[in-house]
Amino acid sequence: MSCDDNKEARAKDRQKRRSLPIVTAEAPRPSTATAARAAPRYWRSIEEREAAKAIALGAVNEFPPGADELAEGSVSRRGFMQLLGASTALATVGAACRKPNEKIVPFVRRPEELTPGNPLHFATAYALEGFASGLLATSHEGRPTKIEGNPDHPETLGGTTAIEQALVLGLYDDDRAKVLRRGGESTAWRVFLEDTKARAERLEANKGAGLRFLVEPSASPLLGDLRRRILARFPMAKFVSYSSTTSDGAAEGPRLAFGQPLVARHDLDKAKVILSLDADFLGEGPELPRATRAFAARRAPGPEMNRLYVVEPALTGTGAMADHRLRMRGTDIPSFAAALVAELATDTPALAPLAGLPKSATFDQRWIRALAHDLQRSRGSSVVIAGRRQPAAVHALAAAINAALGNVGSTVTYLLSPFDGSSGPKALGALVEDIAAGGVDTLVITASNPVYTAPVDFKLGQLLQRVPTTIYHGVYEDETAAVCGTMIPATHPLETWGDARALDGTVSIVQPLITPLWGAFAETQVLAAFLDEGDVSAHELVRRYWFGQRPGDQTAAFDAAWEKWLADGVLPGTAAQPVTVPAVDGQALATVIGTQLAALTAQADGLELGFVNDQRLHDGRFANNAWLQELPHSITKHTWDNAVMISEATAKAQGFETGDVVALQYRDRSVEGPILIVPGHADDAVTVALGHGREGAGESIAKGVGFNAGVIRTSDAPWYDRGLKLARTGDEHKFAITQTQWTMSPDGRASPPPAVDATLAEVLNEGSKFHEELEERRGPLPTIHEPVDYSHVQYKWGMSIDLNKCTGCNACVVACQAENNIPVVGKENVRKGRHMQWIRIDRYFSGPIADPEVINQPLGCVQCETAPCEYVCPVNATVHSDEGLNEMAYNRCIGTRYCSNNCPYKVRRFNFLDYTSEYTAARMMGTNPDVTVRARGVMEKCTYCVQRIERKRIDTRIAGTTIKDGELQTACQQGCPARAIEFGSLNDPGAKVTRMHADARRYDLLHEIGTRPRTAYLARVRNINPDLAKVD
Amino acid sequence: MSAAPSSANVSRDPLEPTVLIEGAQTDQSLNDSLLNHVWRGAGRGWWMLFGCALSALGLLLIGITYTLYKGIGAWGNNIPVGWAFGIINFVWWIGIGHAGTLISAILLLLQQKWRTSINRFAEAMTLFAVICALLFPLLHTGRPWFAAYWLMPYPSVQGIWPQFKSPLTWDVFAVSTYFTISLLFWYLGLVPDLASLRDSSKSRTKRIVYGIFALGWRGSGRHWSEYKWSYLLLAGLSTPLVLSVHTIVSFDFAVSVIPGWHTTIFPPYFVAGAVFSGFAMVATWMIPARQFLGLKHVVTIKHLENMCKVMLATGMMVTYGYIMEHFIAWYSGNPYEQGQFFKTRWHGPMQGIFLTMVFCNCVVPQIFWFKKARTHVGVIWFASILINVGMWCERFNIVVTSLHRDFLPSSWQNYAPTWVDISLFIGTIGLFSTLFLLFLKFVPAVAITEVKELRHEMEHEAHHASVGGGAGAHG
Repeated sequence: MSCDDNKEARAKDRQKRRSLPIVTAEAPRPSTATAARAAPRYWRSIEEREAAKAIALGAVNEFPPGADELAEGSVSRRGFMQLLGASTALATVGAACRKPNEKIVPFVRRPEELTPGNPLHFATAYALEGFASGLLATSHEGRPTKIEGNPDHPETLGGTTAIEQALVLGLYDDDRAKVLRRGGESTAWRVFLEDTKARAERLEANKGAGLRFLVEPSASPLLGDLRRRILARFPMAKFVSYSSTTSDGAAEGPRLAFGQPLVARHDLDKAKVILSLDADFLGEGPELPRATRAFAARRAPGPEMNRLYVVEPALTGTGAMADHRLRMRGTDIPSFAAALVAELATDTPALAPLAGLPKSATFDQRWIRALAHDLQRSRGSSVVIAGRRQPAAVHALAAAINAALGNVGSTVTYLLSPFDGSSGPKALGALVEDIAAGGVDTLVITASNPVYTAPVDFKLGQLLQRVPTTIYHGVYEDETAAVCGTMIPATHPLETWGDARALDGTVSIVQPLITPLWGAFAETQVLAAFLDEGDVSAHELVRRYWFGQRPGDQTAAFDAAWEKWLADGVLPGTAAQPVTVPAVDGQALATVIGTQLAALTAQADGLELGFVNDQRLHDGRFANNAWLQELPHSITKHTWDNAVMISEATAKAQGFETGDVVALQYRDRSVEGPILIVPGHADDAVTVALGHGREGAGESIAKGVGFNAGVIRTSDAPWYDRGLKLARTGDEHKFAITQTQWTMSPDGRASPPPAVDATLAEVLNEGSKFHEELEERRGPLPTIHEPVDYSHVQYKWGMSIDLNKCTGCNACVVACQAENNIPVVGKENVRKGRHMQWIRIDRYFSGPIADPEVINQPLGCVQCETAPCEYVCPVNATVHSDEGLNEMAYNRCIGTRYCSNNCPYKVRRFNFLDYTSEYTAARMMGTNPDVTVRARGVMEKCTYCVQRIERKRIDTRIAGTTIKDGELQTACQQGCPARAIEFGSLNDPGAKVTRMHADARRYDLLHEIGTRPRTAYLARVRNINPDLAKVD
Repeated sequence: MSAAPSSANVSRDPLEPTVLIEGAQTDQSLNDSLLNHVWRGAGRGWWMLFGCALSALGLLLIGITYTLYKGIGAWGNNIPVGWAFGIINFVWWIGIGHAGTLISAILLLLQQKWRTSINRFAEAMTLFAVICALLFPLLHTGRPWFAAYWLMPYPSVQGIWPQFKSPLTWDVFAVSTYFTISLLFWYLGLVPDLASLRDSSKSRTKRIVYGIFALGWRGSGRHWSEYKWSYLLLAGLSTPLVLSVHTIVSFDFAVSVIPGWHTTIFPPYFVAGAVFSGFAMVATWMIPARQFLGLKHVVTIKHLENMCKVMLATGMMVTYGYIMEHFIAWYSGNPYEQGQFFKTRWHGPMQGIFLTMVFCNCVVPQIFWFKKARTHVGVIWFASILINVGMWCERFNIVVTSLHRDFLPSSWQNYAPTWVDISLFIGTIGLFSTLFLLFLKFVPAVAITEVKELRHEMEHEAHHASVGGGAGAHG
C-alpha cells in the first residue's frame, strides 16, 4: 500500500483514540426525558392529553422552534452540557429500586484526557449491507461531528464512502423517531419489556411457531449469537434477513461453481486486468473503500498499470474509470459472459465444457477476443467481477473464469458467507407466504423499512396488517412504521454499542459517541427482550458476549483487551481464512447454468427495465439525509431526484427529451418519472434508481423527492427485465442539475481542455505531444509582476489531485460538507445554480454521446498565488496569508459577489438565502466548532481546511516540532478512498505533494491566466489495449 | 468652436442654427410661458401619470423590502452569474445620467447655445438617474447594513481599510462625487429661476418656500457675476466627471479576468454608450414634455435634431466598440474571448438579448442620417425608446452573458430574473418618473434665466448683424 510511511503518525493518533468513559449510575430506563414525553397519566385538560398523543404519533414537531431550551441563538456547549448534567442528575434521583444501568456522561466528570476545545477520536464501525467499515469518529465535547475511515481497518484503510461521511447528519436528524409507541400511544421501554416477556412465555409454549424476525443481513457476531439463542428458545421461530440491495445471485453463483455459498473478496492490487460484468465495485458495496484504494494504487503509469474493462448498461463510477467500456443491456450480459467463456475456452481447456452455452445476442468479436487475450496474458493477475444485479449464472461463470485463469487465491479469494442463506426476495417470499397463510403471530422487524423496499408483488404493507403483533425497530416513522403496531425508535450507529464484522471477517466493536439523543434502543436490546434478560443495555450485551468468547480471561485481562479493541477499532486475529475452493466441474456447471442461461436468453425482446440502488440514498434509508439528497450523482450530476435514465438514441426513437415525464408501464403496473438522457447508456434499456419517492410520515426531507421505482419492481425481476413500455404523460420536470454541460467545449470553443487525459503509450513516451502540451500548462509565465517568493516561509501549502485515481465517488464532497459546516440549499436553489458544496467533481465526457470517455475532476479553491478574487473585494474580506492561502474573513464579507465573478474556477459559494438560522438545536450539535457557520449574504469557499492546519500548528508548536508530511490531512484528502488527493507543504522537498507537483503528468488548471494555482492536477491515463486501439 | 455668425451673408455654421427660440419673445413672455406649467394647477394628465409612477414606485418599495427580508436569493442571481439585474440597472441609470452632465458642462464650456433650452431638463434627469442608480450598489450586496459604512475609508477600530485596489471602492468615490456635483450644478442653475418663482408667487407660503430655496437671490450685478463664475467652475469640475464616472464604472468589468469583461476598450466605449443612452432618455422625456408643457417655442425641432446627431455619433462609437471587442477577441487568439464573442454572444442562450442590442444600438441610430427622420418627433421618440432598450440589453450582455459562460464549462449556468428583479427595475423607472413629474410640477423645466440671456444675446447679434450689414453697404 502506498500510504504506509506515516504509520508512526497513525500509531500516535491511535494512542489518542479512546473508548468512551462509562459512568455507572443508578438510573431508570426510560430516561427522564423520555418519561416526561410519555402520555401523562394525570392531565389537566383534554388539550394537554391530546397534545401528548399527537407528539407520540409524530404528528407535530416535538421541538417546535423556541420551545426547547436549546433553541437557536442560545445554543452553546455550556447549555448543552448543563442539560446533559441536569438530566443525569434527575435520572439518578429516586432510582434506588431500579436495576443498574450505564449512562454515557461525558462531562459530569471530565475524563482525564479531555480538554474542552480539543476533539477526541474514537474508533467504531458501521455496517451497511451486513459488512462493517471501520471508522474513526471525531467528537467535540461529546458531540460527534465528523467521520473518518480507520486506517487500521483492513477493509477501510482510512478511506470512507459518501454515505459514511453523511452519517453525522443522520444522527442529528430531528425527523428521527423519538417515541416508543404502541399504536398511537406512547409507551415506556419497561412496559415493552414486560409485554415482550409475557409474549415470549406464551410463544415458548408452542416453540415459537408464530414468531418471525425480519432482519437486515448482518455479519455481526453478537447479533448472530442472539439469533442462535432466540432460535434455541423458540425452535420453530424463523429469522428472515432481507435487503433490497443484495441479490441471491452473488451467493448462489459460487455455490454453483464450488458447491457452497461463498463471498468473493477481490484483491485488486494484484490485478493487472480487471473485467467488470455489471459490477460497480468502485461505486457501491462493502468492498468500495478497499477496492478503490487498491485499484487506484495500480493506476500509476508504467508496465504494472492495471487495465479495466467494464460491461454495463448505465454509466457508473466504475464505467467512468474504464479503459474499455462496452455498454450493454443488463439482460444481455449473461450471454456476453457465455461468449467470453467460449472465447477463453480456445486457450483454456478448463473452460472448454462451458464453451457451448446458449447466447441470445452477438457481440463485437474483436472486443471479446482482445479482452480474452488480455485476461489470458495475465493469468493469475486478472480478475472477473460479476455485479450484484446479475443472475447466479454470471457469478458462476465469473468464478469459473477466475478459477480457470488461476486468479483464485491471488486476485480473488473466497470466504465463507457469514449470512445464513438468502437475503434477497426468495427469503422474504417465504415469510410472505407464511403471513398470508396466517402462520405468523408475532413479527419483529429490524430490517430497514421493508414495506418500502420489498418487491411490490409481495404486498408486504397490506400483509403486515394481518399479523396480530408487529414490532418495528426503525430510525424513522417511515412506511413500515405506519403499518406496524409497535414502533421502537432505533439508535443511530453512533449512539449504540455493538459489534460488526467486515467482509474479510475482521470484527470491530461499535462504540457509541453519544447517548441516544431521543431515547432510542439498539437492535440487540430488542432481540434480547425475547430472551427474558430484563432491561439489559447494548453495552452489557456486547461485553458479555465477547467476555464469553475469551473463556480463559480474567476480568482485568479482558478489560485491557477490550480497551485495546476499542482504541484500535479492530479485534486482532479475527480475519477469516480464505476457503480453499475445489476445482470447478465444468461439465456439471455447464448443465446447470445452461438451462438457466437458456431461460434467460429466451426472453422476449423489448425495452429493458433495469433497477439500480441509488448511489446516494442506497435503498432509501438515507432519503432523509439532506447532504446525500443534494449530492450530485457521479455521472449525471443531478440532485434531489431519481430519473428514468435512457440513451440518446432510444430517447430519440421514442420521441423523448430530458425532462419529459413518462409512465413506465411494466406488466400491469405503472409509475411516472422524468426522462434523463445519459451518455453511454445502453440502447433499448432504461435504468431507474430505487430509494426515492418516499412517503414516510416522519421524514420531511425525503418526502416527495423523486419517484418510487419500487412500485414496478417484482420479486421475480428484482434487477432486470424486458417488456417495459414508456408512455408520454405530457408533463415536464425540471431537474436540479449542478453541471449542465457535458463536454469540455460544449459550444465548440477551442479552449484548452480543463481535464487532461492521454493514453499510456503517450505518457510513457517522453517526447510525445502530450508532454509537450503539458509543459505549456505549468511553470512560470511571463509577467510584469515579480511573483511573491514563498520559498522562505515555513509552510507553502499545496495540493495535488490525481485524475487517474479519482473515481468520482463523492466521498470528498460530503467529507468537506461535514468538516466545514456547509449548508444544503434545497432542490429549487440547486436548480437556480446556488449549490454550496466547496469541492465539486467536474465530470466531462468526450467522444460520441453513445460511447463517451469520462474524466472526473475534483475542484475546490485552488488557492491562486495571484488570486483574482482578492484585489476586487472592496472591503478586504478575502486576503492572502503568508503561507499562500487565499483566506476568507466571513465576518468582514459584505457579499458583493465580485470575488466569485472574478474567480476563473467558480469555486466560491454564496449564501444567497439564510440557510442556517433554522437549524434545530440537534442539528447545531453536529456542526464543527472549529469552523464558522456562515450567515446570509456571505461568500465562502474551500480554505484547504485552514482549521486543521491551525490545530496541527498549535500541536506542533507546543511540542516544539514542525508539521511533518502526512501528519496533516484536509477533509477531502482524508475521506478519499482512492488517495487521489495529496496535501502538504511544497517547501518540503520530500513531501508527497511536492513529488506530485514535479510529476510529468502535472498541469495547472487555467494555467494560461497566470493565477499560479497551488492545486496541481495529474493527467488521467488510459491504458488502451493495443488490439482495441483503433476501435476506440 | 466659435459660435457667432457675424453676418447674414456669411454661410451659417451648421451646428449653430438660428431657430433656437421661436416667435417674437420678450423677457416677460418667456417668463410667463416657461413658468406657466409650475403655476398651472396639476391637470388630470399629470395626476394620471403621477399615479402610474407612484404605483411603480410602490413596486420598488416592495422589491427592496423583500430583498432585505429574504436576501439576495430573492433575485435570480446564482454562481456563476453573481451580478445581474442589480448591476445592469446601476450601469444603465448611471449612463442615462451622463447626458445631463454633458449638456450642462461640456456644451457650456464649448459655448453651444442650443443647450440652454434643455440643460435644466437634462440635469434634473442626471440627478434622478443617479438616485436610481445609487440604490443598487448597496442593495445588491449580501449585507448592505455593513456595506453602508465598511466601504467608506474611515479609521475604524477594526483597523481594516477598504481595499483600494478594488474598482468597487473606486465606484463609491466616483458615484458619490458625481451625485454631489450634479446636485450642486443643477441647484445652482435653478437659483435665479427660483427667485423668479418667488417673485411671481401668488401665495405667501409659496413665496416663503421658494424664497428659502432661492437663497436670497436679488439679481444684483455682484450676484450675477459670482453666479456666472461658480457656474463656470462647476462646469469645469463636471467636465472630467462625464469621462471619469463611466470610466470607473467600466473598470468594474475591465479590471477583471472574465472574458467579455477583461478589455481595455471599455472606458471610452462606456462613456460613449452613456452619452448615447443619456441623450436617448432626454429625447424620450423631452418630446412629450415640450408638447404638453407648451415649451415648443424654446425646445425647437432644431434642438431635437442636434440631439439626434449626438445620438448618431455616439451610436457609431458604441458600434465601433462592439466591432473592436470582436476584433480583439479574434486578434488576441485567446480562446476564451473568442468563445465569448463568437459563440456565446451570437449563438448562446442569451442570443436574443444580443441581437436586440445590435439592432437597437447599431441599426436604429442610422436612421438619423436622414434629415426627415431627425426632424420628425414621432420617429425620434420611437428611436430614442429603442435606444434605451438597446443600451439596457448592452449592459445585460456585458454583465450576465459574460458571466454565464466563462472559463470552465462545468460551472456554466443559465440565468433567469425573478419577479423581484423585474419589480426593482420597473420600480426604479417609477422612482425616476415620480421625481421627474414632481420636478415638472414645482420648478421650471427650462432654465428661464439662460433662455432670456440667450434671447438677449441673439437680439444683440441680430442687431449687430443688421448694423454691420448696413456699414458694409455703406463701405
